[in-house]
Amino acid sequence: MADRTDSVVSITIDGVEQRVPAGELLIKAAEETGTYIPRFCWHPRMKPVGMCRMCLVEVETPRGKLLTTSCTMPVNDGMVVDTRSDVVVKAQEGILEFLLINHPLDCPVCDRGGECPLQDQTMAYGPGESRFVEEKRHFEKPIPISDLVLLDRERCILCARCTRFSDEISGDPLIEFKERGGATQVLNFPDEPFASYFSGNTVQICPVGALTAKPYRFRARPWDLEAVESVSLVDAVHSKVSVQSSQNEVVRINGVDNGPTNQGWLSDKDRFIFEYLHSPERLTTPLVRAGDEFVEATWGEALDLAAERLATFPGSEVAGLGGAHGTNEEAFAFGKFLRTCVVTPHIDAQMGDGLDPDFVVGLSPRARIEDLERAKTILLWAGDLKEELPVLYLRVRRAATELGATLIVVHPRRTGLDDVADHKVTYRPGQGPDVLRALVAGEGTYAELREDLADGPVVAIVGRTGRGEDPRLAEAVAAFVRDLPGAGIMPVVRRSNVLGALDMGLSPSLLPGRAAATSPAARSALEEVWGPLPEQAGWDATGILEGLRDGRLRAVVLYGADPVRDHPDPTLAHAALDTADFVVALDLFLTDSSRLADVVFPVEAFSEIEGTVTNLEGRVQKVNRLLAGPGQSRQMWSVLDELARRMGAELGAPTAETLAKEIAAVAPAYRGLSWDVLDWGEGREGVVMPTAEGEQQLQYVPVDAATSSVSEGLALHSGRVLYDDGVRTRMAPSLAQLMPDPFVAVHPADAAELGVAEGESVRVVSEHAAVELPVRIDETLAEGAVYVPANLAATAPLGSPQSVTVHATDGGEEE
Amino acid sequence: MTERTVDQIVPGWTAPNRERAATLLAAYPERRSAVMPLLYLASLEHGYVSDDAQREVADLTGLTSAQVQSVASFYTMYKRDPVGRYLVSVCTSISCYLLGADDVLDAVEEATGIPDGESSEDGLFSVEHVECIGACGGAPAVQVNYELVEGVEPDKAILMCNWLRTARPEVVSSDEMQSLFGGQRSFDWGPAEQEGAVAAVPAFGPYGSAGEA
Amino acid sequence: MSDAPLILTERMDAHPADSHTMERYEATGGYEALRRGLEMAPEEVAAIVKASNIRGRGGAGFPTGVKWGFLPQAMRPRYLVINGDESEPGTFKDRQLLERDPHQLVEGIILSSYALDVHHAFVYIRGEYPRPARRVQHAIDEAYAKGYLGSDILSSGFDLEVTVHLGAGAYICGEETALLNSLEGRRGEPRIKPPFPAVEGLYGKPTIVNNVETISNVPWMVLNGGEAYATIGPETSAGTRLFSLSGHVAKPGNYEIVMGMSWRELFYDLAGGIPADRAIKCWIPGGASAPWFVPDEHLDLPVTIDDTGRHGSMLGSGAVVVMDEMTNVVAAAHRVVKFFAHESCGQCTPCREGTTWLERMLWRILNGEGRLMDLDLLLDVCDNISPGLRWPPAQTTICPLGPSAVSPIRSIMTYFRDEVEAMIVSAGSRDDLEEAPVG
Repeated sequence: MADRTDSVVSITIDGVEQRVPAGELLIKAAEETGTYIPRFCWHPRMKPVGMCRMCLVEVETPRGKLLTTSCTMPVNDGMVVDTRSDVVVKAQEGILEFLLINHPLDCPVCDRGGECPLQDQTMAYGPGESRFVEEKRHFEKPIPISDLVLLDRERCILCARCTRFSDEISGDPLIEFKERGGATQVLNFPDEPFASYFSGNTVQICPVGALTAKPYRFRARPWDLEAVESVSLVDAVHSKVSVQSSQNEVVRINGVDNGPTNQGWLSDKDRFIFEYLHSPERLTTPLVRAGDEFVEATWGEALDLAAERLATFPGSEVAGLGGAHGTNEEAFAFGKFLRTCVVTPHIDAQMGDGLDPDFVVGLSPRARIEDLERAKTILLWAGDLKEELPVLYLRVRRAATELGATLIVVHPRRTGLDDVADHKVTYRPGQGPDVLRALVAGEGTYAELREDLADGPVVAIVGRTGRGEDPRLAEAVAAFVRDLPGAGIMPVVRRSNVLGALDMGLSPSLLPGRAAATSPAARSALEEVWGPLPEQAGWDATGILEGLRDGRLRAVVLYGADPVRDHPDPTLAHAALDTADFVVALDLFLTDSSRLADVVFPVEAFSEIEGTVTNLEGRVQKVNRLLAGPGQSRQMWSVLDELARRMGAELGAPTAETLAKEIAAVAPAYRGLSWDVLDWGEGREGVVMPTAEGEQQLQYVPVDAATSSVSEGLALHSGRVLYDDGVRTRMAPSLAQLMPDPFVAVHPADAAELGVAEGESVRVVSEHAAVELPVRIDETLAEGAVYVPANLAATAPLGSPQSVTVHATDGGEEE
Repeated sequence: MTERTVDQIVPGWTAPNRERAATLLAAYPERRSAVMPLLYLASLEHGYVSDDAQREVADLTGLTSAQVQSVASFYTMYKRDPVGRYLVSVCTSISCYLLGADDVLDAVEEATGIPDGESSEDGLFSVEHVECIGACGGAPAVQVNYELVEGVEPDKAILMCNWLRTARPEVVSSDEMQSLFGGQRSFDWGPAEQEGAVAAVPAFGPYGSAGEA
Repeated sequence: MSDAPLILTERMDAHPADSHTMERYEATGGYEALRRGLEMAPEEVAAIVKASNIRGRGGAGFPTGVKWGFLPQAMRPRYLVINGDESEPGTFKDRQLLERDPHQLVEGIILSSYALDVHHAFVYIRGEYPRPARRVQHAIDEAYAKGYLGSDILSSGFDLEVTVHLGAGAYICGEETALLNSLEGRRGEPRIKPPFPAVEGLYGKPTIVNNVETISNVPWMVLNGGEAYATIGPETSAGTRLFSLSGHVAKPGNYEIVMGMSWRELFYDLAGGIPADRAIKCWIPGGASAPWFVPDEHLDLPVTIDDTGRHGSMLGSGAVVVMDEMTNVVAAAHRVVKFFAHESCGQCTPCREGTTWLERMLWRILNGEGRLMDLDLLLDVCDNISPGLRWPPAQTTICPLGPSAVSPIRSIMTYFRDEVEAMIVSAGSRDDLEEAPVG
């Protein structure tokens, strides 16, 4: 609560004196001191509205006892409250009766049956029989209001949680109350579905079975579910979730309220991605190449083959790519395998589309998500958070709307936060340094922005606005921001566990625990445990791919890496894997990259693995295992352990927890961190490991060194979309159907010059490919730039070069 | 970013209504406040508050269509189905009820041939019973396109409907109808007015009324 | 009425042909109060209103000066919103003031805005009142042309804009917070109070919402002094007041009276008695929300806010609806309950579900499907909306609309229970209607 102070007051609840925070809502204060007041509309993460009236209590006033809703009543010192008086009990029974008179009696076929607050409270507080003999309200039974959500208005008790969420939290009010009085109902507008990235939250917070999610409908009964707490590995926010299975399949993921991160909310991608786990395309046996195709192999055959082939190359001619999608333990095992068993320094978890690893790992002062709650000014100079980190988008949105922070958005095109931004700067990709210079100097139109940035605390969220953006720009922005009052910086990283992977040393420049690979002290400390490390300096992903293409490198181990899709230069990635003598892939699916491998090992995935992960704040949390992976798939580290053994080395990874203990012993920044800490008590919120003293100083790029490069032709803004053609999304049917149609957005002025109009098909030519895309005229885009959604099947071949050319197609025929 | 102008958003509206929309959008400290008057304007443009009308108001105010629908459906005077040229509203609240309003409603249904809540196929009439319209001293009271007639006895109600059918007045005016069909008034109305309604939308300058539209 | 001072209706009575025009208004002393007020300090004008002891004429009867005093000192902007959403069945007094003397209101708005340091005022007029809205808009246009509105009014340095906003058919918008939501372009759903509008009103800013009649009195007060107003009528019901009489009276209409006369005098002396010399069966003393009065107990009570309140009802909006001895009180109560069910905004459970249920039960009784158990059921459902069925009502609801629907039911069950029972019995009690189990 924004208006909550730290002081404590005394109130009396049902005759017992309690000490509670001043200004807290009575319903919450009562719950925290052990008195549960029933409720339907109140939700701790939304503004109280006092609509359902279930939480009525009696509060003593100078004019006698006042019946009032405890969700709208802030406590004050000396308040005397009765939550179970005769008047209260009768009122609550009356409310329940009112709610039930129009509620259908279809609990046995309702998804909510068994976990339904209305059902529970009817048992606890409700009348025994109905005195209502009139006909109940009727509506058409469940109607789809989006591709993911169905609405049964007969079951709805009009608590408005869903509509308030959409308006207040996610900022896309596509469902609202319609009609009034007894005819009131929740509904979307005709032909405008509830197409929100956050729609699943409304299903979760619905206190009855009015809103149901297609991926879960009729899949299970609540009492059949098995569940573990975990964190979502869809993106680097690491939202806390409850993973729930029935009959050995994950059937539902619900948000869990972790105050510092997701506060209970999830994106629909977090929520429904689980379908990929049970995709028939999932790899279930090892595969080995036989000519142009794969044949299934036994683990023994595949391991023997891989170990034998890898051992034929000098370590320095082998590289490893990937590791940013799994756990820290897996990343640690991957790095240890590469550095001590293969003995190569060529390691990268990023795909040439990220930020500099030293920058990400050593960033200081680093902002936490919670800092947004106190921020006066937020500078967002990164990708569109709504597309890239949707839950962080919710937190920024809340800061800008509810908490009054000044929001500055700098981006080449509209973003999901523009409507709540106080300032928006649109610039042509390549001209970022000019914008930054002007901003730092407070020149002209930037004077007001510069002034706002002097009002701290300032939180800067920095990253590449598009895949082609120079990563040094984010560092230059950070170099400016870190001297602002109360500054904190948060890097926008793409893959879910990039920070964990870098912290585990999956970078040519880093050793586990945020240590520099060049630091003699760090090297010798690690060598005491691991033995000698490779001497030579390693190459990053682009260097590795070039090395493979040019023959300087001959083999590569891909761990959950798909450079053909993810590297900005798909031509290079394809040539590299094509040319390599030997490619091993550990993966869940055959991707464009693992399809080029010689041996493919099926590994276990989210919900099948246990370990730790590190989010973009540096917060370490636990992911937990609920199920075994399909078929013969194995834990990734055990595959490496087997390979190492066959190559005459020892990985020392009999269990994931063994790896965790080794991390705690050898990775300086993770010293002493145990799973126990994360599983219990305060650690359940995650632990942000303190930055060790004597940590490396960052080499920020000075503003004037990051020079603007204005490319010829049209600058390409290649931006991420939430439902892109990544393999997990593609394998989750509920999400795959939501993948946007490809298009190229063109500024009206450029469209005029090119002579193209809305909907016309044009030829977009990059150095990698030429593709035909329909035009969308977009006045929010910087002039001189085109926007292409990255990584859709149709757009992926373009890669992410600085610029493209756009040509009206011959004949101008439209489909 | 450039905000689209009223002319760009609703190019199909009449010039005076586009001007009114721009004035209304500027009349309030916050744009959203213009939703209600804009719904009346859109209703004049479309004949009723159609889905298209709601979409246009959403575009004009920066709301979602669902938000506009939420507002439009709350208020009874925004007709979301096509409405007749003459909307006859019979007050059946307590004071009018005590003085025979139900008989007036019966008479209107009979004279127009359509039941309460419906519209005639020829688009001439819509009939509805309404809650109190603030004419209790002149009960029973009726409105045609929100123009009031007080002291309307059932036989006069029939005559009035027949007159609407045959005379087809372009402008519906309280004073004219009161002089022809009215009786007891809540109070002395004073001199007759020129203004009147041209559609089932309250005739009020900022939304257009007779002689202005 | 002859010896009562007329404040609100004097001009329209004297000049029926043109009381609404600027010309007549000025010719009869109009805008003189504004000239005088603008020479005073704003606080002085506010003090006059406070000294008048006027209580709000919208229904709740809250002292206007006290309400004005709730504005936080420092916060700006402030707004003044005139509540012209007159929709309480039986009420039509504001309509007359809007139509027949709009300048009186406009002058009151300017003076009040000056007193409150308001620079943008709104007049919210119900959508079913196009003619009053036209008159007010015309008066405002005239006032702008004359320099009574706009910037630097009469060279005082005071600026004021006034915007007329039409409702669109929702009684609930007469509730001040619902009205503010409506004015903001939202559904007319009442807000939780506190915060009260004076602290957090229109667009979250400090806002005073006053009734048309209340503000129409302000020019007179400024010319004659607040104390002069306070001395009219009984101490706690100061000033004259417009009563709307309707139903079974010979001369329905609006009557500006000094409070304190008896109901008998009101009905028989002013309103000409009951047509066909019938007896009065009961009456609603203050709008559809008010519990009913009956002759045996209430006919000689003085018409004052306090006397009415002490006897379990209210003067509310000043709407008096008289029912003669031939009235079917069950049908009349049903009509009133139906109104509230229709006008419930639907956001809170007991009002949305309760008013609908009550209406359907009464309908059933009227249609020969009543059960004797419905008598107690009606009262118990009422009790779940308004616990204890006491006066002034307690409520499980957000706003008083739900409890308003309880008033007619409580009234007929108090005074005419035997009639309701007889209706059920004569139709053949339907105790065969099964009670449904809860699932």
